[in-house]
Amino acid sequence: MRFLDQPPRFLFFTGKGGVGKTSLACATAIRLAGLGRRVLLVSTDPASNVAQVFEQPIGNALTPIAAVPNLSALEIDPEAAAQAYRDRIVGPVRGVLPDDVVRGIEEQLSGACTTEIAAFDEFTGLLTDTRLTDGFDHVIFDTAPTGHTIRLLQLPGAWSGFLENNTEGASCLGPLSGLETQREQYAAAVSALADPARTRLVLVARAQASTLREVARTHAELAAIGLTRQFLVINGVLPEAEGATDDALAVAVLRREAAALVELPEALRELPTDHVPLMPFNLVGLPALAALLGSAAAQDDVPGAGASPAGRPALPKLASLVDDLAQDGHGLVMLMGKGGVGKTTLAAAIAVELAQRGFAVHLTTSDPAAHLAETLEGSLDNLTVSRIDPQAETERYRQHVLDTKGKDLDARGRAVLEEDLRSPCTEEIAVFQAFSRIIREAGRKFVVMDTAPTGHTLLLLDATGAYHREIARNMDKSGVQHFTTPMMQLQDPKQTKVILVTLAETTPVLEAANLQADLRRAGIEPWAWVINNSLAAAARTESKLLAQRATREWPQIAAVREQHAKRVALVPVQAAEPIGVARLLALAEGGTVAPAAAPSHP
Amino acid sequence: MKSIQIFDPALCCSSGVCGVDVDQQLVTFAANVEWAKQQGIAVERVNLAQQPLAFAQNAVVKGFLERSGAESLPLILIDGEFALAGRYPTRDELARWAGVTAVLAAQAAGGCCSGGRCC
Repeated sequence: MRFLDQPPRFLFFTGKGGVGKTSLACATAIRLAGLGRRVLLVSTDPASNVAQVFEQPIGNALTPIAAVPNLSALEIDPEAAAQAYRDRIVGPVRGVLPDDVVRGIEEQLSGACTTEIAAFDEFTGLLTDTRLTDGFDHVIFDTAPTGHTIRLLQLPGAWSGFLENNTEGASCLGPLSGLETQREQYAAAVSALADPARTRLVLVARAQASTLREVARTHAELAAIGLTRQFLVINGVLPEAEGATDDALAVAVLRREAAALVELPEALRELPTDHVPLMPFNLVGLPALAALLGSAAAQDDVPGAGASPAGRPALPKLASLVDDLAQDGHGLVMLMGKGGVGKTTLAAAIAVELAQRGFAVHLTTSDPAAHLAETLEGSLDNLTVSRIDPQAETERYRQHVLDTKGKDLDARGRAVLEEDLRSPCTEEIAVFQAFSRIIREAGRKFVVMDTAPTGHTLLLLDATGAYHREIARNMDKSGVQHFTTPMMQLQDPKQTKVILVTLAETTPVLEAANLQADLRRAGIEPWAWVINNSLAAAARTESKLLAQRATREWPQIAAVREQHAKRVALVPVQAAEPIGVARLLALAEGGTVAPAAAPSHP
Repeated sequence: MKSIQIFDPALCCSSGVCGVDVDQQLVTFAANVEWAKQQGIAVERVNLAQQPLAFAQNAVVKGFLERSGAESLPLILIDGEFALAGRYPTRDELARWAGVTAVLAAQAAGGCCSGGRCC
């Protein structure tokens, strides 16, 4: 494995939820500890299963791992860190200031950036405080800070401004200003991250086009900041031998993975790359993890492998969800989920299904991969497709604000405004503003969007009243008097249906549940969940490996059904990239390689 | 010199760019605060979302929040006493309160007065 070759002191594994960062981090830690190095493993995965992997409790303190000499571990729960931070700020005024004032403050501190920065704050000490880590040769993290967080910490003038003026200057450091850690320590942490002699970043992906595109974005973002020493691991690759049986599903998966790797984004081609094969067993316990990086003989089987899905509950196809959607005749459909779960594909499939039934549909996407939208344009009479380029929208918005609101400012005032416009919220707002123009069409036709604002953003916009002002002005221009505000439109289940997209794996399900909780705070109840890319929903397979993986999906599918979702649809893993009307329709109907043989939804 | 304290509503950014519609008042005021500091005026901004304890510990501010609510912020105190609420002060006002003789005319570059008010 190239990423294990002469590893520096700090190793970070990054990638979207469910690609196997934690397993790889654990396996790496075991491997290095086995070579006699003293290793500290740090997990910040909210669904951390490190304790389960080593079969002992760990928690928020340095804990030696009994079964592995030389290895210690530490778990940081980012949500708990954020909650502790909120409590520190809000706790002293609860019951002192009026309740609604306290609620407003809490919402301000409930955004994703607070969580991320609170987690970063927790592990800053590990990067900079030698007393904590002196006893270790390697510190391995199963996550990495995003480009946004690092940029915030790097904003030129941010820290100097902070130190001189205390709270002014780059005010969009927002949650940072309340954290206890010394500013100098953040600067030291960032420089440790950007130093290739000390830090190696391992990008973890699956052999899927959308996941690889997402990883390419992460790569570019972090490289631009100075984290240039990056390695790529493609995890869970189906071994070619599985295709020997001529099993239709295995052959299709092999073909699709090969195609994704052939079309590997340009930016990733230069990176030292490893392929880790799909394993026939659960990655729990030491022998399994040791086998992941190929040092020991893999155990052959675990109980339940290849169990037939017969007798499993049938779940509806995407097309049956569309039947329900179609009853209203028009409305706004927004797909929401983490990057790489397939929101754009599913938005396209829903749009095509609706258009096929004769409804006027506007599909609008912010996915940088434009080919999907382009292939649909003009393919169906009543389907229009538009695309929003987040980068262009953000730039336009930034320029517009500087030209209008910033025009009377002196040079120094303009500099402050320019710095604040680099905040991460700017992009979300700029994109959502572009979408807002299209949302108004939903009174007459179907509008299907592949993104949605988070509940946190909506609440903040609503609280400031900025959203209402914007709409009031638009109403005056168009002369339409009966129009409601977008917030009211989004909260009304008759007008808006939010569909959460996830995968049948632990971390993606947990991430979707968090998004749902966030929307509920804003008074928006997600209408349905769609589990995408499911092997359990695909055709019966002779491949033991794939059957194994399918079996492992069922507990997650059950969790979505029983604990999270009002309505669920299951979309099987696709044999080919679902591009074009025919393939999208087949996807919605639950088809994959051999639809007739699919046993899971009779 | 008198000290001026501004108790802001719960803001993500004090320059006000965090909204669907950037709030012109906040943009202008952020610039005015920068200007005031350069003049040596003692101006302090306190953000409800970041330093709520400062609101709770000040009897004037706490009473104001109870009577009028967070919607009525900002609240401006001069040497701890109520000076203005519900809007941000202009550059002119900041200068007058602090006893600084503002040279407003000299600042107008493009025919526009500073302080966010156009002639």
